[in-house]
Amino acid sequence: MKKRHIGALLCTAMIAAVLAGCSGSGKQEGAAGSDGKQTQAAATEAATAAPEKAGGDVTIKVFSNLPDRTSGQGLIEQMLFDQYRKENPNVKIEIEALDDESYKTKFKAYASGSDMPDLVSAWGQPSFLDEVIDAGLLAELNPSDYKDYGFINGALDGFSKNGKLYGLARNTDVMSFYYNKALFEQNGVTVPKTYDELLAAVEKFKAAGLIPVSMDGSDKWPLSIYITSLFQQFDGATASADMQASIKDGDYTNEAWPKVLDLYKKTVDAGMFQTGFETTDYATSMNLFTNGQSAMYYMGSWEMSMATNENIPEDIRKNIGVFSMPSVTGGKGTITDITAWNGGGHAVTANSPVKEEAIKLLNYMYLPENWSKLCWENGVCMSAQDFSKYLTGKETSLQLEFVDMVNNSTNISGTTFNDRGTNAFKTACEDSFVEFAIGKLTPDDVFNKLAAAMK
Amino acid sequence: MHNLYSNKKVIFSLMAPGLIVFVTAILAPIILSTYYGFTNFSGIGASSFIGLENYKTLIHDSVFWTALRNSLLLSIGFICIQHPLAMLTAVKLDKLQGKTEGLFRCIFFIPNVISVAVIAYLWKFIYNPSFGLITKVLRALGYTGQLNPLGAGNAIWAVLLVLIWHGFGWGMLIYYTGVKNIDPVMYEAAAIDGASGSKTFFYITLPLMKPVIQVNVTMAVISALKQMETVYLLTAGGPGNETQFMASYLYKQAFQSYKYGYGNAISVAFIAICLVSTVALNRLFAERGE
Repeated sequence: MKKRHIGALLCTAMIAAVLAGCSGSGKQEGAAGSDGKQTQAAATEAATAAPEKAGGDVTIKVFSNLPDRTSGQGLIEQMLFDQYRKENPNVKIEIEALDDESYKTKFKAYASGSDMPDLVSAWGQPSFLDEVIDAGLLAELNPSDYKDYGFINGALDGFSKNGKLYGLARNTDVMSFYYNKALFEQNGVTVPKTYDELLAAVEKFKAAGLIPVSMDGSDKWPLSIYITSLFQQFDGATASADMQASIKDGDYTNEAWPKVLDLYKKTVDAGMFQTGFETTDYATSMNLFTNGQSAMYYMGSWEMSMATNENIPEDIRKNIGVFSMPSVTGGKGTITDITAWNGGGHAVTANSPVKEEAIKLLNYMYLPENWSKLCWENGVCMSAQDFSKYLTGKETSLQLEFVDMVNNSTNISGTTFNDRGTNAFKTACEDSFVEFAIGKLTPDDVFNKLAAAMK
Repeated sequence: MHNLYSNKKVIFSLMAPGLIVFVTAILAPIILSTYYGFTNFSGIGASSFIGLENYKTLIHDSVFWTALRNSLLLSIGFICIQHPLAMLTAVKLDKLQGKTEGLFRCIFFIPNVISVAVIAYLWKFIYNPSFGLITKVLRALGYTGQLNPLGAGNAIWAVLLVLIWHGFGWGMLIYYTGVKNIDPVMYEAAAIDGASGSKTFFYITLPLMKPVIQVNVTMAVISALKQMETVYLLTAGGPGNETQFMASYLYKQAFQSYKYGYGNAISVAFIAICLVSTVALNRLFAERGE
């Protein structure tokens, strides 16, 4: 009798465990199906060249932060490498690709050894690049090579230091609210022009049982970009210079700062983001939007390929629109001030044994008819070059909305706030905005932490 | 044979592999870490010697103390929740006999077989406040509020639950082996004397399991201190730094903030704490054993 009791108990425990397992794994598939830019598992691939010709073989080692080689920017990069190998049969390209965080860690490990890959992904932002350039890790490029490449004004500034050029920018990234047009219509919400309208929309969506905006809070940087956008709206045209000054002097007395934090806290408390946003990762937050559970999704233009992603249900992918941070009451900015920057790109390492060949490959990739054209035609992203001549007329409406947003912009943020200082500043900044959001810090704590991080 | 073993060269050659591994993979990194702990090295480029500065920062670093507290909580959780449960399950399992015994032994061990990454994601989804299992079940039962187990205030308990659940199988398996090694004659004798189930447990099973308990407790404390992967994948130390453990905090400082020197200072403190607690536990058990 006793034995039977034990058996029953153990059975219940087992069923619970199995149920937990099923539910978990089911959801997991969903996450893996979507291509979260930053959360993909590491993928390593060693590609060998097509028919080898004797003599003069060159192996270029590439280290990339685009682990998904079958869609998005990773696919474009892969296509260009394949194309280059076909045209130059003596060149072998070995690719190692990891997602952002692992990439940066391993980059560091490479940097302290002597075996750096030849062509690497890099970010034209002080938080990444300053230390790398100071350590003399990157090869200098010849700016005159790129005269005809059509890089948009200022696109290469991030990769330049003391008048020297160290890398090429891949994209123009624009941070924005993606929204589900159908859900907006069903709930009688129009695209908000002011922040008050946005907050009013939040109430409507909450009443309808929807998540107003899904937010990737686990990676933390989207929240810092949100802060950057709010700062732009409050501070107006001088936002970029003012942010830089605040970081440099550790001085947060600019009257816009308290207003930014106040509104940000109000936004969080109003329930704009999903419950638990602070621990929701990239893929999950995106899934909330692509499953129709949230009406909006705060993310960058690099996810514009959602509109063509077959993994996303058709009624959702065909209904995605985009708008930028609305203007705030008492702010000096306008809705056409956008948060955009030229961040990620490629560089060649200084000690590479095949430096010349690697630069050749880099230059080939960035020929306007290569990176720029392919990215646009595949609806992957907007390059940092002028791609207007590659407009095909077959663009998704989402792509065109982004182009309009950039073309009509009155002011551009440049590098976002979190990436404007040292790496220690980046961590402190991203951490404190999350901790502030969940009520663990006061505005003064935040400012003190930001100032201390730059000391 | 005796001659062979007293030949110093032979002794050395037999010990060499172990020694080499110890020196290159453990001792040398510790020495290097100690050195870097005194510098402001960022991981790339030049660095300068800054003496005890990193350690001074460490003492005033509230996150470090949070991490230590979390390790302590986890050790307590292991010792007071996981292990008693594991031992009771092992004893009950032993009584089941036959096929059911093997089946349940296997089932309880399953979480240990699954990769940590899968475990972390599985629980992340169970805990998810928008579509997680817990939320769905509560909704079905009519609960309308919002529940976020991994949110501020709750996160550490949610993480402890996962860790205790995940490590349960190991603990149980070791206790189970311990129980199996107890001579059944003892139980028979006790039964003849009319001892009840709980009496047999307290007067036979428990005392005879002592060596096993000692091993298990020491391992639990060490694994609580070393905790990294599950927490890193589940919450990455967040929200804020609430669920930071020493290893995850060290990783964050060294590889995300690029404060390599400071990260090494943490690791030196970390090693010291691990050593001290292991020695202390061994002493404690040795004294008891006498």
